[in-house]
Amino acid sequence: MPTIPMTQLFAIVLEKDSRRVTEAILREGIMHFISTTEFNAEGMKNLSTVQPETSLGQVSDLRKRIEGFLHSADIVPKMPREYDFNNHIRIDIKKESELLDKIEAKREGIRDKQRVLNQKILELEDIRRQLQIYGSGLSGIAIPSQQSRLSIKTGQLPASNINQLDDSLKEKPVLNIKLRQENDVAHNIIVSMKRDSGDVDKLLSEAGWRELELSKELKSDEKKLLEEIPAKIERLTNDQKQLQAQANNVVKEEAGNFKEIWVSLRVNELCYKIQTNFKSSSRTVVFAGWVPLSKKDKLSKGIIKASNGYCYLEWHEPGSVETIGDEIPVQLNNPKILAPFQMLVSNFGIPKYGTIDPTVFVMPIYLIMFGLMFSDFGQGVILVIVGLLGASIFKRNEERKNFYQLSWLVIWCGMSAMLFGVLFGSYFGSDLIKPLWFDFHSIVSGHNQNASNSVIHSIYDILLITVYFGISVIYLGLVFNWINIIRAGKWMELFFDKGGIFGGWIYGGGIYIAYYLVSHDYKEFPDGRIIFMLSGLPAILLFIREPYRYFKQSKATAQYNNNFLLLLPSFLMQWIVELLEIFSGYLSNTLSFMRVAGIGIAHVCLMISFFTLAAMTSGLYSILILIIGNLLVIVLEGLTAGIQALRLSYYEFFTKFFHGTGKLHTPISLNSKL
Amino acid sequence: MKISALSKYAFINAKLRARISKILPDDLLQQIAKTSSLDEAFVLLRETNFADLEKTYSGTGDLKQVELELLKKQIEFYRDVRQYLDPSAGQLVDSLLIKYEIDNLKNAIRVYFNRNIHKSTDKTIVHYILYETIIQKIPVDLIINAESFDEIAGHCAGTPYSRIIDQYSQDVETNSSLFRMEIAFDHFYYQNLISSINKLDPKDCNITQRLISVEIDLKNISWVIRLKDFYDLTLKEVLAAVIPGGLNLNKAAVEELYNAENFPVALQTSIKYQYPTLSSLMSSQTSGSTSRLLLIHQILEEIRKEETQKILAGYPFNIGIVLVYFILKDEEFRKIRKVLNAKHYGRTEERLKA
Repeated sequence: MPTIPMTQLFAIVLEKDSRRVTEAILREGIMHFISTTEFNAEGMKNLSTVQPETSLGQVSDLRKRIEGFLHSADIVPKMPREYDFNNHIRIDIKKESELLDKIEAKREGIRDKQRVLNQKILELEDIRRQLQIYGSGLSGIAIPSQQSRLSIKTGQLPASNINQLDDSLKEKPVLNIKLRQENDVAHNIIVSMKRDSGDVDKLLSEAGWRELELSKELKSDEKKLLEEIPAKIERLTNDQKQLQAQANNVVKEEAGNFKEIWVSLRVNELCYKIQTNFKSSSRTVVFAGWVPLSKKDKLSKGIIKASNGYCYLEWHEPGSVETIGDEIPVQLNNPKILAPFQMLVSNFGIPKYGTIDPTVFVMPIYLIMFGLMFSDFGQGVILVIVGLLGASIFKRNEERKNFYQLSWLVIWCGMSAMLFGVLFGSYFGSDLIKPLWFDFHSIVSGHNQNASNSVIHSIYDILLITVYFGISVIYLGLVFNWINIIRAGKWMELFFDKGGIFGGWIYGGGIYIAYYLVSHDYKEFPDGRIIFMLSGLPAILLFIREPYRYFKQSKATAQYNNNFLLLLPSFLMQWIVELLEIFSGYLSNTLSFMRVAGIGIAHVCLMISFFTLAAMTSGLYSILILIIGNLLVIVLEGLTAGIQALRLSYYEFFTKFFHGTGKLHTPISLNSKL
Repeated sequence: MKISALSKYAFINAKLRARISKILPDDLLQQIAKTSSLDEAFVLLRETNFADLEKTYSGTGDLKQVELELLKKQIEFYRDVRQYLDPSAGQLVDSLLIKYEIDNLKNAIRVYFNRNIHKSTDKTIVHYILYETIIQKIPVDLIINAESFDEIAGHCAGTPYSRIIDQYSQDVETNSSLFRMEIAFDHFYYQNLISSINKLDPKDCNITQRLISVEIDLKNISWVIRLKDFYDLTLKEVLAAVIPGGLNLNKAAVEELYNAENFPVALQTSIKYQYPTLSSLMSSQTSGSTSRLLLIHQILEEIRKEETQKILAGYPFNIGIVLVYFILKDEEFRKIRKVLNAKHYGRTEERLKA
């Protein structure tokens, strides 16, 4: 399928209308701008570039800052489907920056509180470590040695002051362990780090604390000091979580406002980006760009409406002398269903404008190759399920759009595997149902004596299928090349190019000669005259190319080499190299497709191996071997088949006609990436 | 049976090359430098191997806690690579890991020193010391709580550090400075590293020696800058601190640097014949001895960069890739720490670049 026809717009509008026209272009989102550096006409060079009201850098910085600010609370701002340009908010960059600074300072304050809490938690962890080193059992408690950084105090306080002490120590990294309460006196143990003992002593004295050696009776309580720590850490951790939520809420409270500002800033940025492609005189603004031909009227109407008819629009067809710039952008026009295959094509390159977009052909070629290499109904079902899972995960993720397409590719590959599984009668490696075409497993294992109804009897027949398939793919590539060359009007290339008619003629001749030789048990070649007509004649005709090129170039530059005979060896050498390239190239291209059969056979062999292993055991082990075997084959063979199918598409098919030197049509729209 | 270089390094080479491609690009670090708060900076790390740092920060608000996590992560990278190496190369990784152990030990001794000798009480520093074992079993808690250097040496008994602590404790107490003890630790690190290098296969040994020698040059130049300009030490004292084994800066070169006469001859010759692309840097105009020393530091960094590039582009089945990976990872960690601290202290992007 050829690429979408494009047309070039050259427009002049009044300077006062430029903002409205910019908005109209952005709303349509279909114009691929031509850079002002490509405006080479004499009068245009004197025009100046358009300066936006606010610096693009400032707008962009603030937009990114808001984006980061919202992302930090897991809020992802999105552009609305429709934008009301009439209600566009004018953003005061300074004011909004200050507001952000204020909010960030507020959040910073919360982070400071979190930090203090964290240090308390760490201090408790420290106490725990110290207790583990110096002993934590109350029964053996003694004031720890000088070595320890722990301070352990035992004593009593009036029972009426218990709450006061609890409150004052609540926020401190201190363990306050209540042992026993007798009448109006409470006995406690206070554990803290020595470095905090100054603060702790003060609070204790305020609560009427009196330090005492514990009685034997109290010491016999087997209460563990360590048990108190987790509870306290948990309390502090909960406080931490609350603060963390508060920090997020600071952003969330302002999210609505900032989302609106973000949208306005983004629209501004896009408008400024459009205007970087404008050139202006004192009263007018000039710009140019490529638009799909089908959208021409829509854009015209939009610009005319925005400028109240005060505009000059000139439309140029690609290739006409009036067009600005050399390169015509390409828009691929494939149905949504082909998106995964378009991704494969785009990864290789973008077709040049006016040439064939191979996406629609890649689909069957890729899937047939995949199916021949990975033919199993059950394993195909697994691939489909995996693909569907992937697609559902990545469906709404714009950042992972490629993964979504990849998931769909897996689904397609799974369906191909299912189809070929039915044709070859393979269901998780077993032959549950009779094959519709031939029994791949029986042929590979050498048990296909009864398959007399099939035309495929041996591995050689399978290899032959892939060779025929390869020849078809290569010829399809050659035909596309001829169509592209005819469209470009390069008649010499049509005949003399390696992938031209003479090249194709030699290839066809080679196929016939090889077929003749094989069908005569490798003992006989066709008649010499036939060989000459099939391969010799086009080879001789190819010799014309180099002298023709030389004379054409010499004519253009008016420089001739007087001694033409000296050039003959060079022409001869180039001709020989070209012929060698054609012969070896087409041969290796064709044989390359035999890997499809090879990988298909390997797939079957692996399954046979796992079935043999399973047969050596019984019961659960046997089932386990089959499950693991199938999983291994799905992963390893699936990957191999996918990669090899891609490799064959890229190097044996695309290289015949597809140069991938085109430039993608990238209009500036509301959804453009910045 | 001797294992071939191919079987020794094929797997780790492929693995590390894949990992090297995931090292944070400078563009991202620049973007982080442009953010206006730590929270925004951490958002940009979300799609990287450092995503878990954001969790630590948003949960604690504590950058030092994040730095501690970074340190743990950095040590883990070494350990992870170590498991794929043969014993001699594994020993080299242990020797490299000792750097972190020594830094941690230095921090623990500093806490003791500040408490007992400087009598200052920094309440928080103890929380950000690593208490887990890196190579040797060192009871960090006991060192922090010790009452004397004898006690610290006792806690380190059975490790090579005990001897150093014994040897320099008197000097620390007399001069009220940990400087010489810390230099001795660093000297031990490089001596131990060089002895591990000598146990490698000849080819691996050559490559490692070359890279470590550049590293030693960098360390020496940093010291000359600090000791001369900030501590005002005499030439003799500076020479005593110099680590032997540098590639371009031997003691004579350091003497030249100290006197700030000119570029050391050894460095000039090296640049002329081995790194001609750096000659433009050498001809940069600088005024003042510190700027000249900083320029030399920059040149040495460029030399290290060239050496690592050579290894990456050269024969893949040797220890070079492992060392380059560590160098690049260390550099990545250093940059992350730097940029996060800059955000924490409100440094602008320009200041950070400077």
